[in-house]
Amino acid sequence: MGDILAVRDVVKVFGDVRAVDGVSFTVRRGSITGLLGRNGAGKTTTIRMITGIFMPDSGEIGWLGGGDGSGSAFRDRIGYLPEERGLYRQMKIVELLLFLAEIKGKRPAEVRPKIDQWLERFELTEKRNAKVEELSKGNQQKVQLIATLLHDPELIILDEPQSGLDPVNMVLVRNLLLDLRAEGKTILLSTHMMGEAERMADEIILIHRGKVVLDGSLDQIRGAAGKNALHIDFDGDGAFLQTLPQVRAAAIDSNSAEITLHDGADAQQVLEAAMGRLRIQRFELAQPSLEQIFMGKVGVETLAAEEAK
Amino acid sequence: MKKMFAIFKREYLQAVRKKMFIVMTFLLPLLMVGVFLIPTLLLEGGLGEKHVAVVDGTGELQDAFKKPEKNDKPDADTPRRRDIPQQLIVEYVNARDKDVEQTAKPYVANMGGKHGFDGVFLVPHDALTSTKAKLKYYSRSATDFMTQGRLSSNANRFVQEHRLTARGIDRADIDSLLSDLDVEAVQISKSGVEKKGGVGNFFAGMILVALLFIPSFVYGLETMRGIIQEKTDRVVEVLVSSVSSRQLLVGKVLGIAAVGLTQIGTWLLMAGVAGAVLKAIGKSAGVSALSMLKPSTFFFFLLFFTLSYLTYVCVYAIGGAVSNSEKEAQQLIMPITLPMMMPWFLLAPILTNPDSKLAVGFSLAPMWGPITMYMRTLVADPPLWHIAITVLVSIATIAALFLITAKIFRIGILSYGKRPTVKEIWKWLKVA
Repeated sequence: MGDILAVRDVVKVFGDVRAVDGVSFTVRRGSITGLLGRNGAGKTTTIRMITGIFMPDSGEIGWLGGGDGSGSAFRDRIGYLPEERGLYRQMKIVELLLFLAEIKGKRPAEVRPKIDQWLERFELTEKRNAKVEELSKGNQQKVQLIATLLHDPELIILDEPQSGLDPVNMVLVRNLLLDLRAEGKTILLSTHMMGEAERMADEIILIHRGKVVLDGSLDQIRGAAGKNALHIDFDGDGAFLQTLPQVRAAAIDSNSAEITLHDGADAQQVLEAAMGRLRIQRFELAQPSLEQIFMGKVGVETLAAEEAK
Repeated sequence: MKKMFAIFKREYLQAVRKKMFIVMTFLLPLLMVGVFLIPTLLLEGGLGEKHVAVVDGTGELQDAFKKPEKNDKPDADTPRRRDIPQQLIVEYVNARDKDVEQTAKPYVANMGGKHGFDGVFLVPHDALTSTKAKLKYYSRSATDFMTQGRLSSNANRFVQEHRLTARGIDRADIDSLLSDLDVEAVQISKSGVEKKGGVGNFFAGMILVALLFIPSFVYGLETMRGIIQEKTDRVVEVLVSSVSSRQLLVGKVLGIAAVGLTQIGTWLLMAGVAGAVLKAIGKSAGVSALSMLKPSTFFFFLLFFTLSYLTYVCVYAIGGAVSNSEKEAQQLIMPITLPMMMPWFLLAPILTNPDSKLAVGFSLAPMWGPITMYMRTLVADPPLWHIAITVLVSIATIAALFLITAKIFRIGILSYGKRPTVKEIWKWLKVA
């Protein structure tokens, strides 16, 4: 299928902070690429450089999608959903959507029928003449999403699209993104919700402190991490599991534990130790979740250090 | 171009539909007329009803304070100042052979209150015989000089007539001897045409200048607020990911300029209609003021309005781009607005002396040029090359402001957080 976008050695410095520090990756056409990282990792800055809002201090962002990939034309081929809602609060929804499509170079006549379709799909038809400020946060987010997709962009860039949505709408958005991929669209999805990324993304780019720390397909990344995740369900006090020499990190609840083992550690030894003191209901060795991989990569210590700041 | 037009269209339609636009368009001219004309009318007619007691120690001045009969039109030959206006109600008290101060006492005591007197005017016994005699006026306010002036001039006039009569001069001669000459204010233009001028011109000028001025500030502030709104609503992120900052700025400023022109157009139309109506019903009042409204007045109004408007809107746009919140912008409004208001503060000296160095200097300067030059064209005929310089300087100023604003816009509209220092803005200008 080939790549649609290439980011090469991009750097952006704000004052003393290297917000983005030599980030490189590519986005494959027709895929959902998850841009992951904690708040402040540099995701949004990276995205703003791709969308032309910021100029990189150095490095390049190249359009590989064919056709004119420069300036205004390039902008029109991207649909961008910013992290925070960016809508004129005083405008009526239909007018606002028309305007936002017009500044993407579309004629009003072209997009009118599409607006109706989208409003229908998001159950907003009744609200079409309401002002943006009269809508709930969730509905505003839907309007923003429609604005992102209305001009039929080739590359869809979404910055935390699910923030502020209730579970029902979260599923709605998830299904929408999967549908869009099925239609052959390319999606760059920035999120801090590892679970959501795991459900949708084909490719993962993990950013920490302005640098890419992991890059690859979801399967590759999990495969490379090996089977070092333990799920244990038990009766009894499992607090001691944390102190076992094989355990690198553990999240222990009242009767279950999610454990990450040290590389090369033997899960069997953990089972033996646990059986001695707990009544085991379930014991499973599995591929780690993205969250666990991320924690392992970034390190619990750094996290603690940052929280303390 | 298409995108810029989309921005332009949105900006225009959103503004024109706002209540403020409608209110300003229809109420401001009325307000203007009210603010400037009502005091003038009041000055001419006195300030409401006044009750005054005149205690006359000579017993002969009664005629001096008589009112003309209601339907009695003032005779052209009689000096108008002798008439006591309708609003001044005089109670004449003959105090001949009495103590004037004593007679006046109850009246002075009865001053103020709902039915009391507003003033008590005392004429001493020797008013007709001594040149050292003093008239006295008790009033509730120290600044009631209009009533005082009216009463004293009437009393004096009578005294003068009395003295002349005593010298054996005929009554008929006295009127002609004492008659005042009117001053006709005539403005000589460069082309040698004479036209009537005067106070009416001054007020008409003030109204026109205010109409030219106020929209610049109102919509300038609107622009500033709009930009800040876009920042706080984060719309700007969507905008700059779709259009260039220059398209955004040009579309925006032109959109707002179109709003202003729409407003001005409506006003001119209203003025035209009002003028036609006045003509039709044959009202001659304010003719000298209306004589200012010649075609060139409208032409210059449109020209200088556009120039000053674009200048000011750009300046406010910069203010909006470097502010992060309404609150921050509030602090900027004064330092931005005050210097730009300079010509307004100098309105009187410029209108009364349109060819002075001050007026010429301001009219050729950037920023202040259009408005000052407009004032000059209202009351004089500045040389054409002065006007040409003003226009050129203004266009250059606007072009420069556009370039600067676009650059500051590019960075400023996206920088959330702390308001940039002047040093930082300077850096932006060099980098962007």
